[in-house]
Amino acid sequence: MRAPTRRTILASITATLIASLALVGCSTGTASTDGEPDTTLTVGLLATPGNLDYTTTAGAAIPQALLYNVYEGLVKLDNDGTIISLLAKSWTVSDDGLVYDFVLNEGVTFSDGSPFTADSVKFSLERVKDNWTANGPAYLDPIASIEAITDTDARITLSIPSNGWLFNMTGPVGTMFTEAGIADLATAPVGTGPYTVRSFKTGDSLVLAASANYWGEAPYLTDVTLRYFTDATAQTNALLSGDINLISGISQFQLVDQFKSNSDYQVLEGASTGEVTLSINNASDAFSDVRVRQAVMYAIDRQAVMDTVSSGYGLLIGSMVPPTDPWYDAELADLYPYDPAQATDLLAAAGMSDLTVAFKIPNLPYAVAGAQVVKAQLAEVGINAEVTALEFPAVWLDEVFADHDYDLSLIMHSEPRDVSVFAAPTYYAGYDSPAVMAKFAAADAADPAAYVALMKEATRTMAEEASANWLYLQPAISLADADLLGVPKNTPSLALDLSTIAR
Amino acid sequence: MVLVILRRIVVFATTVVVASIVTFLLLAILPGNAARIALGVQATEADVAAQATAMGLDRPPIVRYLDWIGHVLVGDFGTSTVSRQPIGPDIADALGITVILVLTSVVLALLFAIPFGILTAVRQRGPDGAILSGISQIGVAVPGFLAGLLLVTLFAVTLRWLPAGGWVDPADDFGGFIEHLILPAIALGSVQGAVLSRYVRSAVLDVMRDDFMRTARAKGLGTARALFRHGLRNAAVPVMTVLDLQIATLLIGAVVIERVFSIPGLGSLLLDKVALRDLPAVQGIVLVLVVFVLVLNFLVDLAFTVIDPRLRSAS
Repeated sequence: MRAPTRRTILASITATLIASLALVGCSTGTASTDGEPDTTLTVGLLATPGNLDYTTTAGAAIPQALLYNVYEGLVKLDNDGTIISLLAKSWTVSDDGLVYDFVLNEGVTFSDGSPFTADSVKFSLERVKDNWTANGPAYLDPIASIEAITDTDARITLSIPSNGWLFNMTGPVGTMFTEAGIADLATAPVGTGPYTVRSFKTGDSLVLAASANYWGEAPYLTDVTLRYFTDATAQTNALLSGDINLISGISQFQLVDQFKSNSDYQVLEGASTGEVTLSINNASDAFSDVRVRQAVMYAIDRQAVMDTVSSGYGLLIGSMVPPTDPWYDAELADLYPYDPAQATDLLAAAGMSDLTVAFKIPNLPYAVAGAQVVKAQLAEVGINAEVTALEFPAVWLDEVFADHDYDLSLIMHSEPRDVSVFAAPTYYAGYDSPAVMAKFAAADAADPAAYVALMKEATRTMAEEASANWLYLQPAISLADADLLGVPKNTPSLALDLSTIAR
Repeated sequence: MVLVILRRIVVFATTVVVASIVTFLLLAILPGNAARIALGVQATEADVAAQATAMGLDRPPIVRYLDWIGHVLVGDFGTSTVSRQPIGPDIADALGITVILVLTSVVLALLFAIPFGILTAVRQRGPDGAILSGISQIGVAVPGFLAGLLLVTLFAVTLRWLPAGGWVDPADDFGGFIEHLILPAIALGSVQGAVLSRYVRSAVLDVMRDDFMRTARAKGLGTARALFRHGLRNAAVPVMTVLDLQIATLLIGAVVIERVFSIPGLGSLLLDKVALRDLPAVQGIVLVLVVFVLVLNFLVDLAFTVIDPRLRSAS
């Protein structure tokens, strides 16, 4: 009677195994591409939008998905960081730099069918001041008036000449809206762009479909799914398994090398606008003396930090300016070479031996890894940095950014052209230099040639006065299927511009 | 029997109220300003204060709690401060996904644990029993997320048989739904299956030593038939107790597995909302999780009384 026992039990185990194998056997089929070109694309991204309204919700995730794809402005930034025309066919600037005359493209409609005219320009830009609470409504402060002269002629008059505002018009604040399409910005965006939002599920995916009535040249891709991951390994696994086709801006650089040796994929290395910064609280007791800040500059081997945190990818910059900006100064990277002896001398001269400082970092992988190297190097020169990892964004924003309750921090500043923002005395760096602020103001109002020179001067002063230790520029590395063409390499703006991608 | 159920219901209701208060208080003292997160790094202090008023964050905690719980009682979880959409449907969607994932992994765990546990018990003294027992011991030791990563590396990245993650709604594409369910369900269920098989084994071993089993065999039944006819029902009670405890563990495990496989379930939703300090949403999700676990415990308790008549009296 023992035989049936074993048989019964074994039979049930076998049945279970067969059932699970049968399930496993349903392999994932990829979309058939016989003859027809495959115009679908799935992109893997890390930060998910909480909603779709960037007029009132901060963060780079919403503009990344929607800017240039669903929404358009008068001008845009191409992948090299040059301002080019978009909804404006052309524009002229008066000699005093105050009056901008835009000639708009004809026959442009929003995705709801309503026409885009100079009135839309007036409506959209006037809305920024009163209704926007996020993504920098102050960027449009130089605007004094907006006139719709004809349907296709819009005139914008500035109160003071400003070199920066047209650049800012390439970002979220320059977006064109239609009065009929702003009722439900959080879920149903209406723009003039080549795509419309088909579906959106926060934390999961955003599906874009080519707009049926796009005014310009139709994009190659008709269906684009942006899939959101919380884990960089899950993201690269999805690329390796064929679930996604493109990762734009990988965050864990040790995952890159496996793709370099694999001919099924391409690895694109470009420039970002993300300065990974060891922020110094210039207003704190420890660091109000410039010599102590300079000691922090000499104490840190930035190459070593970059090697540890980003596997050596990236660029040593030494200032808040990436090479894609016209006022980039390559010399600043060598302003403070790694020199611990010099650091010790400066600390002694400032009477700051045995210094203990609060090093409050966001709980993000790069910051946690970087802080360990920085802490060890500071210890070499006698600075004891007590590391606290604060939950990001919630607690870090409160404690460090809003309350300035810190001595050192480590964070990436990803906004484009943010050097003058960093110098503002009310900013969390607490750097208070009226001379530098005056130079930035003069630069904004100057003619284009003097603009670049003045920006360079102000940037150099900020570096010389060690207002922060800019460790390195975050590399922009995209990983893509080998057959994808036109994948944007750099990230000069917040947008992930899908219009150039084809197979 | 009625008294037992009534008593359970009172305990259940009290637990829910206490849980809602604890949830609310914990979130009220959590550092981080939801208004500032919404507005970002360019906002001024005045902007943040105005936003806090608009979000109702400046009201006293007791008012906020009563306002919240009052609406929840009529089925209104409120509006997310981030997505500005009603929270209820989001929670319902995510709960549906998590429940499917957890129940599938429970079924897989049982399908594995029951035959495996019985086999290792029956073959306790044989070398095969020892080997099988060792295998389940390894299963106990491997954490779910590691099992998940290993499964992804093998079946998604190397063999490309199954997707590495994500979720497909069964109504949209049933085949795709199954494909996306297999790996996370196995990853989540494997550890529980291994743990459960140990309990099945010891429960069966205990039962096999009982007097009624000896009587059954003395009457002429073989080991197998005696076990199936009389033993398993008795062995089921301790196994059900463990299963009940494991379901809570599975819900927690699902949070991690959902992360590994990028599944938009309740765990993912909870972590996203905590990061964004979307307090109405977090409160709603935690409350739903608590109620879910309590309801399951309640159902398991009821199941006991069905399986074992001895538990029907209100002792």
